[in-house]
Amino acid sequence: MASKKLWRKPLDSEKIKPPEAEIYIIRDRCKGCGFCIQFCPKEVLEESEEINARGVHPPKVKDAGKCALCGFCTAICPDFAIFVVEKPSEKKEEEKK
Amino acid sequence: MSKKQVTKKDKQLQKDQVRIGVYVCHCGLNIAGSVDCEEVAKFAATLPYVVVAKDNRYTCSDQGQELIKNDIKEHKLNRIVVASCSPRLHEPTFRRTCEEAGLNKYLFEMANIREQCSWVHLYEKKKATEKAKDLVKAAVAKVVLLDPAIESVVPIIQKALVIGGGVAGIQAALDLADTGYKVYLVEREPSIGGRMAQIDKTFPTMDCSICILAPKMSDAGRHSNIELLTNSEVQDVKGYIGNFKVKVLKKPRYVTKDCSACGDCSEVCPITVPNEFDVGLATRHGIYTPFAQAVPSTYIIDPNICLNQEGILKCDKCIKACERKAIDFDMKPEVLELEVGTIIVATGADIYDPTSLQNYGYRKYPNVITSLEFERLINAGGPSGGHLLRPSDMKIPKSVAFVQCVGSRSDRGHLYCSNICCMNTIKDALLIKEHWPETEIYVFYVDIRAFGKGFEDLYKRARKEGVIFIRGLPAEIHEDRKTRNLWLIGENTLQKELYKINVGMVILSVGIEPRIDSDVIQRLLVLSRTNDGFFMEAHPKLRPVDTPTGGVFLAGCAEGPKDIKDSVTQASAAAARAGILMAKGKVTVEAITPRVLEEACKACGLCTKVCPYNAITLNEDLKRAEVIEAACSGCGTCGAECPFSALYMRHFTDEQINAQIDALTEQDADKKIIAFCCNWCAYAGADFAGVSRMQYPSNVRIIRTMCSGRVSPKFVERAFARGAAAVLVAGCHIGDCHYINANLQTQKRVERLWKKMEKLDLNKDRLQLLWASAAEGERVASKVKEMQAIVNSITKEEIEKSKKMMEKA
Repeated sequence: MASKKLWRKPLDSEKIKPPEAEIYIIRDRCKGCGFCIQFCPKEVLEESEEINARGVHPPKVKDAGKCALCGFCTAICPDFAIFVVEKPSEKKEEEKK
Repeated sequence: MSKKQVTKKDKQLQKDQVRIGVYVCHCGLNIAGSVDCEEVAKFAATLPYVVVAKDNRYTCSDQGQELIKNDIKEHKLNRIVVASCSPRLHEPTFRRTCEEAGLNKYLFEMANIREQCSWVHLYEKKKATEKAKDLVKAAVAKVVLLDPAIESVVPIIQKALVIGGGVAGIQAALDLADTGYKVYLVEREPSIGGRMAQIDKTFPTMDCSICILAPKMSDAGRHSNIELLTNSEVQDVKGYIGNFKVKVLKKPRYVTKDCSACGDCSEVCPITVPNEFDVGLATRHGIYTPFAQAVPSTYIIDPNICLNQEGILKCDKCIKACERKAIDFDMKPEVLELEVGTIIVATGADIYDPTSLQNYGYRKYPNVITSLEFERLINAGGPSGGHLLRPSDMKIPKSVAFVQCVGSRSDRGHLYCSNICCMNTIKDALLIKEHWPETEIYVFYVDIRAFGKGFEDLYKRARKEGVIFIRGLPAEIHEDRKTRNLWLIGENTLQKELYKINVGMVILSVGIEPRIDSDVIQRLLVLSRTNDGFFMEAHPKLRPVDTPTGGVFLAGCAEGPKDIKDSVTQASAAAARAGILMAKGKVTVEAITPRVLEEACKACGLCTKVCPYNAITLNEDLKRAEVIEAACSGCGTCGAECPFSALYMRHFTDEQINAQIDALTEQDADKKIIAFCCNWCAYAGADFAGVSRMQYPSNVRIIRTMCSGRVSPKFVERAFARGAAAVLVAGCHIGDCHYINANLQTQKRVERLWKKMEKLDLNKDRLQLLWASAAEGERVASKVKEMQAIVNSITKEEIEKSKKMMEKA
């Protein structure tokens, strides 16, 4: 209900742009369990077409902009094949200065 | 209950001992002017069981009352009839007289020969006298059958529930808590404060809203007698005055009381959404506090947007950031069961959404904003830091226009006046002038209603400071695509000329409307609502904060649009009213509730379905209906529904009403209209016709019941079987019933009777249904006139036919 009523673009929406993510997938380590795809709360990942060294389809990034950097994919991956780092944002750099 | 199970023989025995005193009042010339009171008294003396019959000047005077008291003692009277004014006026007086003389007050009956006789038949002395005799006869017939009764006493739990934590709810809770009662203050938002917390300044004094509210909020938060239940909703209410059992759903905050409100968690939360408090003009995180002064200050996690859904902990950033380890995702919703004696409803109101008024272009043109959005923009703590920024380009406009009555006083929104918008706009205009004196300000209005203390001064001040007031709302608002400025086009109705004015920003002064989910509280507490949709008070003048449900009171905008001062005043009044009940610790219930005649009850459950108060339940084990006395208001609609006459409606029994019908139809029935009127509206309306001296035909005979829902089809059939020419059933307008909706049953029953009459080939116009309020004497009078024509047109054959048909039925 709230979302329908609140229709304006918040005045501070530019300022508080969430940090952008860089998602690294070490494709050949992946054994294709699919946990990261299934459990990502923002549905950032999907299965790719490619076949890796272990003969499975590793994940690929569908929409990096959605990533909230929660790090759950890193935590859940049994093969240490995925990790996320925060992109150093220009704005934040400016603020620090 | 057993004392009511009397056999016919007992009844006869009781009857033989009946000794009635009848007192016919002259009321100066009010009655004696058109009724021969002496003759009426003489006539009364001839009636069965009447021992004493007297006429006197003023029966309600001290001497008049002394006379009754002496006669009770001297003549061993055990029933009293006073023929005078309306029982709505002096029944309590004479009941007290009886009690003082040692007679049970329920053994008293009144014949209304003033409002419903002498005053409405001023120029027909003979007919009026005959009518007065009839009315006395009916009263005597009823009084014979009356039972003495003792009013039951119900204890009151000395705790209160306040629903809604806006300024009204906070004030009511504080007043009750300071009086010494335990109060549960339930608020569904994460913080108390309500609308007032969102507003920048208040009119007419221009006080800072949150500065005067915040101390009250923290008082309520730490008061030892107040238990604050935020993020909680009332789920269920059972019980009755003094003894409510309330279920409150307390939703989890996922943050414990250890929270120090440092905000570290919020900073790391990766989720952002528009903030409700700033009407979407700013953002908040998944873990947040709605505003800086929130009470409780404990943060809250919005479970709808948090990444951790369905118990899987995916994101732990807030947990890691919280030094005090106050975040707990294992919190579960709780259902609290509270027992309270009184309830104050302070659920507030919604703000009108102007999107549907397409000619104003809200949501289409970014620089058209609402007055609530304005409050957030002008607030120094708001999203723009107190700068009135145009959403299109973030610049301060050089000219603004206020459009009044948006959603109010029009069939395109709500018909009522929202009460606060005129003054709010004047305040807002002055605020703009204060910050940016050069701004051109136009106010387009219908009328400026500056009715309160200090309001006119503020209005004058605004005019003096150069705010331009133009009478006539704009018909249309258009946007200039380049500048994003707005054109307002309309007619200045004072100068009778068209205007086309260009401004940088338009503020729609939106009205107040009832909460969209008002029906939930209405159902839970069995309240009524006015046509506007706000909760209805028990009496607009004399009981303005009470509701028809005992022990439930109203405060703030839930009852109708009002400003902060009025909300606070009403809240203190509601707290006082609730406090009176709790201080007494007990309450008496009028002895007009039904008794279940166990041997007659077949446990069919029909009565439980029509009871508006859910005061009758079916005892499956004992196979009978049971009345929860304290929840019952005595409307009698159950008694009318029962096909087995198993509900003994005390003081309005089938027998008593039948006796009245019989007495009234004994003579010249074929020329009479028998009318059944509900005590609150139709009977009061008939009284009002009398007070206003509206003249109508004298052949109508009114029988009073508490509710038109008491009128059983049996009564109507009996009247016709006794040869009555016409019958009128009259009650409150649908939606205005004093017993919530019992008059819906009246409607159903009358419709059923009409069908039956059609089937029997009887003229169904002879049965009429009328809704008339207590102020609509004219409706009663004209209905009687209208029915007179029907009575005149009815032939003897028709009367005979209906007599036979209805007797069979």
